[in-house]
Amino acid sequence: MEDGVTATQVVFWILAVVMLVSAIGVVTAGNIVYAALFFIAALAGVAGIYLILTVEFIALVQLLVYGSAVVILILFALMLTRARERPQALFGRSRPIGIAASLGLLAALIGGIVATTWTTPATTSAIQPVGLQTIGDAIFTIWIVPFIIVGVLLSIALDGAIMLASPDEDDN
Amino acid sequence: MPPLDHILIVNAVLFAIGVMGVLTRRNAVLILLSVELMLNAVSLNMVAFAVYGHVDFGNITGIVFAFFIIVIAAAEVALALGIVVRTFRNRATANVDEVNLLKW
Repeated sequence: MEDGVTATQVVFWILAVVMLVSAIGVVTAGNIVYAALFFIAALAGVAGIYLILTVEFIALVQLLVYGSAVVILILFALMLTRARERPQALFGRSRPIGIAASLGLLAALIGGIVATTWTTPATTSAIQPVGLQTIGDAIFTIWIVPFIIVGVLLSIALDGAIMLASPDEDDN
Repeated sequence: MPPLDHILIVNAVLFAIGVMGVLTRRNAVLILLSVELMLNAVSLNMVAFAVYGHVDFGNITGIVFAFFIIVIAAAEVALALGIVVRTFRNRATANVDEVNLLKW
């Protein structure tokens, strides 16, 4: 690795802290709309880390698909399914078990990461940015069949979602 | 760029936060949000491996995987929210522990 802490690393850690704090907000916020807003901040942090990793294509897709489309869907669902009469408990009875289990998983993951010797380029300046053209070539040559399948899957899923959410004909 | 293991540790923390959300929340939409956090952690991991590895190994499959994960997550969110809206119409709740239609 290069000596010292570079500006990129400082930006990375700022983005990482913003992302993780927002993620904690998503899982602990007492108001479901606040949780959705924290989710947007977490997604923006992830997109920023994609930019630091020099894959601006994925960063843009992340902002367009996740940051706008998915978030709008989720906000609509939150508003449509809000219980009106009584205030709702937001956490289940098994909350302490859940927290303990996730902390155990975190310890296992970090232990594995630290114990592994990663094969990486000797200096980070040896890393070439992955160009947009490289990604496009890969998607439209090697991955063309999965690309078409995923397109079909997406349209089927959206049709199914419309069918599920639309009222029955004999409802009214 | 930051060293690879720093990125991996940040992603591990993000994944664990997502797991905590799935295990502690009651509202189905908030559980879905936590699943999305876990998906984001995984695709960030794949992109990090692809970027750090493509000098030595010469392929960028991880980046393509991240792209596919985003597309499939969009489909999954649409379907799951359709189911949640439907459940809310039938049972007037979006809490997963009150929906016990299939519980035997």
